[in-house]
Amino acid sequence: MKGKGVEIRIGLGSCGIAGGAEAVRAAIEQEARQAGAGAVVKAVGCNGMCHREPLVEVAGSDGGTVLYGNVTAEAARSIVRRHVRPGAVQARLRWAAERVAGLFGNGGARARLAGYRVDRGSGGAASYLGKQQRIVLENCGEIDPESIDDYLAREGYQALDKCLRQLKPAELIQIITDSGLRGRGGAGFGTGLKWDLARRQPEGDKYVICNGDEGDPGAFMDRLVLESDPHRVVEGLAIAAYAIGAAEGIFYIRAEYPLAVRRIREAVRQAEERGLLGRGIPGSDFPLRLEVREGAGAFVCGEETALIRSLEGERGTPRLRPPYPIQRGYRGRPTLVNNVETLACVPWIVRRGAGPFAALGTEKSKGTKVFALAGKINRGGLVEVPMGITIREVVEDIGGGIKDGRKFKAVQLGGPSGGCIPARLAGTPIDYEALASTGAIMGSGGLVVLDDSDCMVDLARFFLRFTQSESCGKCTFCRIGTKRMLEILERLCAGQGRSGDLENLELLAGHAGRGSLCGLGQTAPNPVLTTLRYFPEEYKAHLLEKRCPAGRCTALIRYQVTAGCTGCTSCAQVCPVKAIAYRPYERHEIDQDLCTRCDMCRQACQEQAIEVVSP
Amino acid sequence: MNQTLHQRVRWAAWIAAAAVAVCVLLLTISYAAARLQAPRDEKTVAELKRKVREDASFAPRIEAEHKRITAALQQRRKRDDVIAIVLLLAASLFVAAAKWLAACGGRRQLPMDRLVQLKAAPRQGPALTLPAAPGGAEEPHQAFVERIVEQHGRSREAAIPILQAIQAHYRYLPDEALKLVCELTEITPAQIAGSSSFYSQFRRSPRGRHVVRVCHGTACHVAGARLITDELRRRLEIPGGADTDAQRLFTVDEVACVGCCSLAPVIMVDGQTVGKLTPTGACDALDGIRSPSPA
Repeated sequence: MKGKGVEIRIGLGSCGIAGGAEAVRAAIEQEARQAGAGAVVKAVGCNGMCHREPLVEVAGSDGGTVLYGNVTAEAARSIVRRHVRPGAVQARLRWAAERVAGLFGNGGARARLAGYRVDRGSGGAASYLGKQQRIVLENCGEIDPESIDDYLAREGYQALDKCLRQLKPAELIQIITDSGLRGRGGAGFGTGLKWDLARRQPEGDKYVICNGDEGDPGAFMDRLVLESDPHRVVEGLAIAAYAIGAAEGIFYIRAEYPLAVRRIREAVRQAEERGLLGRGIPGSDFPLRLEVREGAGAFVCGEETALIRSLEGERGTPRLRPPYPIQRGYRGRPTLVNNVETLACVPWIVRRGAGPFAALGTEKSKGTKVFALAGKINRGGLVEVPMGITIREVVEDIGGGIKDGRKFKAVQLGGPSGGCIPARLAGTPIDYEALASTGAIMGSGGLVVLDDSDCMVDLARFFLRFTQSESCGKCTFCRIGTKRMLEILERLCAGQGRSGDLENLELLAGHAGRGSLCGLGQTAPNPVLTTLRYFPEEYKAHLLEKRCPAGRCTALIRYQVTAGCTGCTSCAQVCPVKAIAYRPYERHEIDQDLCTRCDMCRQACQEQAIEVVSP
Repeated sequence: MNQTLHQRVRWAAWIAAAAVAVCVLLLTISYAAARLQAPRDEKTVAELKRKVREDASFAPRIEAEHKRITAALQQRRKRDDVIAIVLLLAASLFVAAAKWLAACGGRRQLPMDRLVQLKAAPRQGPALTLPAAPGGAEEPHQAFVERIVEQHGRSREAAIPILQAIQAHYRYLPDEALKLVCELTEITPAQIAGSSSFYSQFRRSPRGRHVVRVCHGTACHVAGARLITDELRRRLEIPGGADTDAQRLFTVDEVACVGCCSLAPVIMVDGQTVGKLTPTGACDALDGIRSPSPA
């Protein structure tokens, strides 16, 4: 564990960087340089434990690892001092002295570090990791995403090699079909079947596209995979291209993910340099050109026909299917579009065979699914669970339950195309069909946990505002239907609901769903329909009593000072509109006419003496 | 090499045009000659007919005269047919060459520097009013757009990458640059208008010096992103309807999701993500940027 050959891994995904990992890296590098010892400092991707970012992992030469979470720059220095035996004599003396000093007193650095240590064997981390099954994320957070050697050391590109040397395309597709892999983008179409259809298309130019336009708010698994293990996706795309006989592959990645774009570009460049792609593949004449294109910010471009239009330089509007992109897609040629996560599963399946993958999951949903666990939860992050696990297990065991001891109300699954599943249905297994029966969908994997302070009408309005502004405008029902539905929801949230609003909402939802060409319009009513179905009392409270039970809708709530007020004036100082008079040692009062319900006073109050009431 | 091709086509057009003119001239002459000849022939024949009535020995002369006139007529017709065919060929050649020259297909064969000269010439009056580009301020705008176009190609398909490159350079899409793109590529103004208004990434008006993206994804929404946006706008004194403050220092954008949901609520300041914020914390994050320390 100690001594030379120590490898220090720092999680440098987008979220790690946001958590301050760059400062940690600087500290560690400086400290390691001062120590003058042979410690390898490596920037790795994210291992999914976003709630403990920034993460630092120390891997000893004996293979054991120690993980530290929520690391500060100061803690990072201690970590280096503890694990790395310095090379220089002077530094070594100081190091030895510090260790001796650590044996006395309050334990020194050792005790301080214990607070940062994440023990994978017990406690929160154990239950966070225990129920997970990592296929897609197997390398995330353990390898340097910008180094092809790291990936190669982890059986990287062996699956592609196996395909090229041993498997005919038809055999390869049979493996994928047998594994039961289904599209992870949301709809769950059988991947093997899709590949087979693409392969059977007449010879000539064919294209494979990796759909990395992860637009669902609340979903970030594609970003994490692209950032943390880009070579895996490159390999998956190359295998797909080999299976269907395509010579050109395109990564379509959101421009909002600059780091992912950069790392995929780098991965493609490295793979080409090593001759793993293109004509240089030894013993094969499989040519493959890969290109990386950035999306320009349109949610609808996650839909495959819209994505293809966008690649062609046009407005990203979907078109009528058939012909499916498999028949006629990019440049009018057969085009296979697969989601990032789907492609990331492929190398694993090819390497290990269909059996181990099919052994996981339920009858119709095989393998694992990655979820972006977020919202009012103790341990958020990226989790990969076998299909068939229940929502409750995900929320309570892996996620560690609800934050601040509040009540678990619902989960929102599948973003704007999905729906809300109430706490009483939390026993529903993660399975395409079981989730669809609740009105939600598997979706791309956003799982936002809601507590009793979240208003379902407000949430429905939030998603509808999103789909309404992202509707491309091609289909009337989607363009105008979502607008009208949004107007009704805005009215409800403002306490101006009219009789018949709920019925109209349901009617419009049905029409918009049926009258739209693509998934965006067809699924846009889901958030409204599921909340209407499971939380009708909240809608009724907004409509009839002009009341927001969760205390969210600003037009329907008031802030009040309770008897607990000590007159400390904290709230008066932060109020941006001077709605609270500055009167020390008196119980404060909020001028309701001036109050904008910005919530600043409640956050500032140390006595919890400001409450939200809905009359 | 392209230049010689272009010149050859131009030569072909000129030759074809000349051939057309010559043919038309010949046909006109031929027609005029025939018109002049016809009454004379008729007169000769009538004279001969009169003489035949007096002296029968003139009969073979009349026959000979008829034969001569018919032969001349046939010869003329044949000649006119040939001229007409030549005329048609020359005209088609001319039309084809002229079309090739006029269309961008012909223009594209010009080498870049020549094209630039041609393009630059009429625009010397009103100077370009492009904003100074950050970083590579020294590079002329024309040269920049040309470089981008060269990099991404001239097809319609290149529209979005070209717009992205321009936006990355100027931080919005200046009209002048877009005009240049239309002139240098097959991309039409309509396509640019369509795409730039469709995709939320593109902006047609200048941005503030720093761009603040407030994430309004689901997780950030339930964690109070609205409050953060409101507070930022209030602090920066951004008027309703606008997204940039009066000093053009900050632009506040609401974006769908930046994919850092477990750090909600999140803002992204000039590409740097800051998470787990409160409204006050968000404003403090901006204060750090406002201070002159290098980003």
